[in-house]
Amino acid sequence: MERCDVAVIGGGVLGCFAARELSRWELDITVLEAREDVCTGISRANTAVVYPGYDHRPGTWKAEICVAANASFDRLCEELDVSFDRCGSLMLSFGPHADAVLQKKLRQGRENGVPGLRLLSAEETYRMEPSIAPGLSSALFSPTAGTVNPWQLGIAACENAVQNGARLRLNTCVVAIDREEDGFLLKTNHGDIHTRAIVNCAGLAADRVQELLHPPSVRIIPTAGDYLVLDKNSAGRPVHILEYEPEEKAKGLTVVPTVEGSILLGPTERENGVDYATAETGLTRVRELSARLLPELDLGRIIRSFAAVRPNPQHPDGSPIHSFCVEHPEERFWSLIGIKTPGLTCARELGFHVTKQLAKELAAEQKMQFNPKRRGIRRAHGLPWEERRLLAEQQPDYGEIICLCEDVTKAEVLEAIRRGAGTVDGVKRRIGTGMGRCQGARCEQKVAALISEVLGLPESSVLKDGPGSEIVRAAHENV
Amino acid sequence: MKTCKLLIVGAGAAGISAALAAWDAGCRDILLVDRASQPGGILPQCLHDGFGLAKYGKELTGPEYVMRLMEKLNRTDIVFLPKTEVLSVSGDQSAVLSRRGVVERLYFGQMILASGCREKNIGALCIGGTRPAGIFTAGQAQERINLRHQDLGDEIVILGSGDLGMIMARRFTQEGRHVIAVLEQEAHYGGMARNYHRCIEKYSIPLHCRRTVREIHGKGRVCGVTVEALDSGEREYVTCDTLITALGLIPERELVRGLEDREWLFLAGNCSRVHDLVDSAVAEAERIGRMAGRRLSV
Ligand SMILES: Cc1cc2nc3c(=O)[nH]c(=O)nc-3n(C[C@H](O)[C@H](O)[C@H](O)COP(=O)(O)OP(=O)(O)OC[C@H]3O[C@@H](n4cnc5c(N)ncnc54)[C@H](O)[C@@H]3O)c2cc1C
Ligand SMILES: Cc1cc2nc3c(=O)[nH]c(=O)nc-3n(C[C@H](O)[C@H](O)[C@H](O)COP(=O)(O)OP(=O)(O)OC[C@H]3O[C@@H](n4cnc5c(N)ncnc54)[C@H](O)[C@@H]3O)c2cc1C
Repeated sequence: MERCDVAVIGGGVLGCFAARELSRWELDITVLEAREDVCTGISRANTAVVYPGYDHRPGTWKAEICVAANASFDRLCEELDVSFDRCGSLMLSFGPHADAVLQKKLRQGRENGVPGLRLLSAEETYRMEPSIAPGLSSALFSPTAGTVNPWQLGIAACENAVQNGARLRLNTCVVAIDREEDGFLLKTNHGDIHTRAIVNCAGLAADRVQELLHPPSVRIIPTAGDYLVLDKNSAGRPVHILEYEPEEKAKGLTVVPTVEGSILLGPTERENGVDYATAETGLTRVRELSARLLPELDLGRIIRSFAAVRPNPQHPDGSPIHSFCVEHPEERFWSLIGIKTPGLTCARELGFHVTKQLAKELAAEQKMQFNPKRRGIRRAHGLPWEERRLLAEQQPDYGEIICLCEDVTKAEVLEAIRRGAGTVDGVKRRIGTGMGRCQGARCEQKVAALISEVLGLPESSVLKDGPGSEIVRAAHENV
Repeated sequence: MKTCKLLIVGAGAAGISAALAAWDAGCRDILLVDRASQPGGILPQCLHDGFGLAKYGKELTGPEYVMRLMEKLNRTDIVFLPKTEVLSVSGDQSAVLSRRGVVERLYFGQMILASGCREKNIGALCIGGTRPAGIFTAGQAQERINLRHQDLGDEIVILGSGDLGMIMARRFTQEGRHVIAVLEQEAHYGGMARNYHRCIEKYSIPLHCRRTVREIHGKGRVCGVTVEALDSGEREYVTCDTLITALGLIPERELVRGLEDREWLFLAGNCSRVHDLVDSAVAEAERIGRMAGRRLSV
């Protein structure tokens, strides 16, 4: 039977970082992910903001780790070779209600130790962001806020964990947990695994995974949120992250100038988070708020809509939980349950926290040769043409363009596949194919053909995304 | 340093025709570049006939139309560079070209952009629901079926009744697939009457105006769509396994963003405006090609 010291259940951004932190220790680690790839859950659909930490009550653990995580984000992204843009954020108020909210956030932030927070006048703000609608009252400027591509961060952490000895088992869903001598027996759809310890990072299913062995202590109530994405080079694109705090009692809007160059708008808040399906009403609401806040924005340049699912944690009696739930129902069993915003920002800190205690419980030794550095896939886009020429001379595939909108070459797609992308969306998450204005209409087939070629599958077996998402059928292929 | 007098980006009907006209006007040293391995742009995947009535007095298929253009091209010294992407164009009259193993910078005297269109896709529509496999743009479906002989699905809903939507409705029907409906939000179908008669009426394919898709269902693969009748607001669930979007074409000019006003730059064919008929794209391209050619030959 397969054995390991620590089984990380769930390969979202939290599981990937837990594995990376654990791989600093002399421990045999296996990540078990139910899906065909890592970062296909909450970690792929969120606001992508690295928060500065003024949203949380002073004195709370959440406030403390968010501020610390933000401060170390440049280094983290440098180690993992992931783009991070510390573009700063502006929380925008158009009246007395929101002014009061900003005042409160300023106080909280200062107490939490968020650096550089400043309240700006309307004039100062318009100078920084001329395309904001008239009528501004004040803004809270936070220079340390930033944005990162969430799934690329998670994938990078996972690759780094694997580099340092962790194992990744995809398509492996934990369905039962039994207690055994010296640990646990995990039953999966692909055989049993004996492990000495468990880190449960199962995202939306984290409550249920813990309940495979323990009585309920936290319940997850999913709600959904809708987003829109605007094409690169859109007029009226802000330079900062904008957080619009409306006067009426309603959810506002976050506008993120993403590291890819697009604009992310959202999210709404609504019931029924199932299957990451968007709601028309939600999308309409995002459009309305966007038009209200940034009148110059050309909503004709929308290229995509998507939905996120929030894992809202509750006590079994139904009352909401506001802190991060790090559950420790017994020795060597740790669960991260209902980790919402700023879970992405704090992913490394959460992994670090659990690892520190688990290493103690397992009496593990620190690894001598841990390598914190991971190299990303070498991108051709953005290089001066002479460098591209050299690259193409060394590796001819760097001359062949696969994705026209995002300027992705064949060499990069092949490298993404080599690193574990087995689906069209897996390649997309690693290298950005199909993210642009034609949404894959021109590259989907080429990417599928490369996956088919490299993995030796017929094109009719290549999936777009999860199970059952075959793109074409077997019948008369390649006649 | 690599140079040419006239650079033409895109070897579709417009690009080839512009090149020929420039040649006839006396311009030598013409480079015609296309990312595809074959010339012709959109035409090689258009296996139906209906091309060239004005120019050749008969209806050719897309590939036949290309053949005629290529016969002429082969009698000139115009250089055709296939499988080559024009990556960028700069204000100093240079372009960066990329193909397998080679990235190079090329200086040119004049440039004709003949890069065609791209299709509007579902992403722009803000439709509710999931984003499963089984959603194709009409052009993507046409290429997959006609050139790759792929099987996309059995129960088809087509959103949009432009020429492309109607042509694909016929194509799926000819392939033995069931086109449940072609949906059009306007009060009248969008394409040419000729295509309506030949593709829709002749095959008795249901075409419903004032209807649209409001929601997409299915987890891995499309399993249905919610269709709304726009006048009554009534909604109905329609079971299908494939959704084809024929939402219209957008001239593809990203390459020359910010350079549109340069006097060395010309636009020809579908990248300048959408032409319903290839002959009209060709006529425009010939005019542009002559103009650029004359400037360069003096
Ligand atoms: C709308 C929204 C916006 C957000 N915006 C931000 C933001 O801007 N900044 C920020 O810092 N944070 C943000 N967050 C929070 C952040 O996205 C999450 O905290 C983080 O992505 C959670 O990751 P995860 O690994 O827990 O979940 P997931 O990514 O869902 O990973 C869980 C994984 O577990 C797997 N799994 C489940 N059950 C099993 C099983 N039985 N066996 C094996 N595998 C299993 C699943 O397949 C899945 O891959 C946002 C969250 C939401 C919902
Ligand atoms: C499905 C369909 C059916 C049609 N049916 C008919 C019909 O029945 N009768 C009729 O008369 N007309 C028809 N038309 C219209 C007619 O075919 C088009 O108007 C005409 O072919 C457009 O030609 P073009 O050269 O402008 O564009 P395209 O044919 O699109 O050619 C553009 C070329 O530019 C290349 N390119 C673009 N950017 C770059 C770059 N950066 N680097 C390198 N290469 C690049 C592309 O690869 C492509 O080959 C139809 C059109 C379609 C799409």
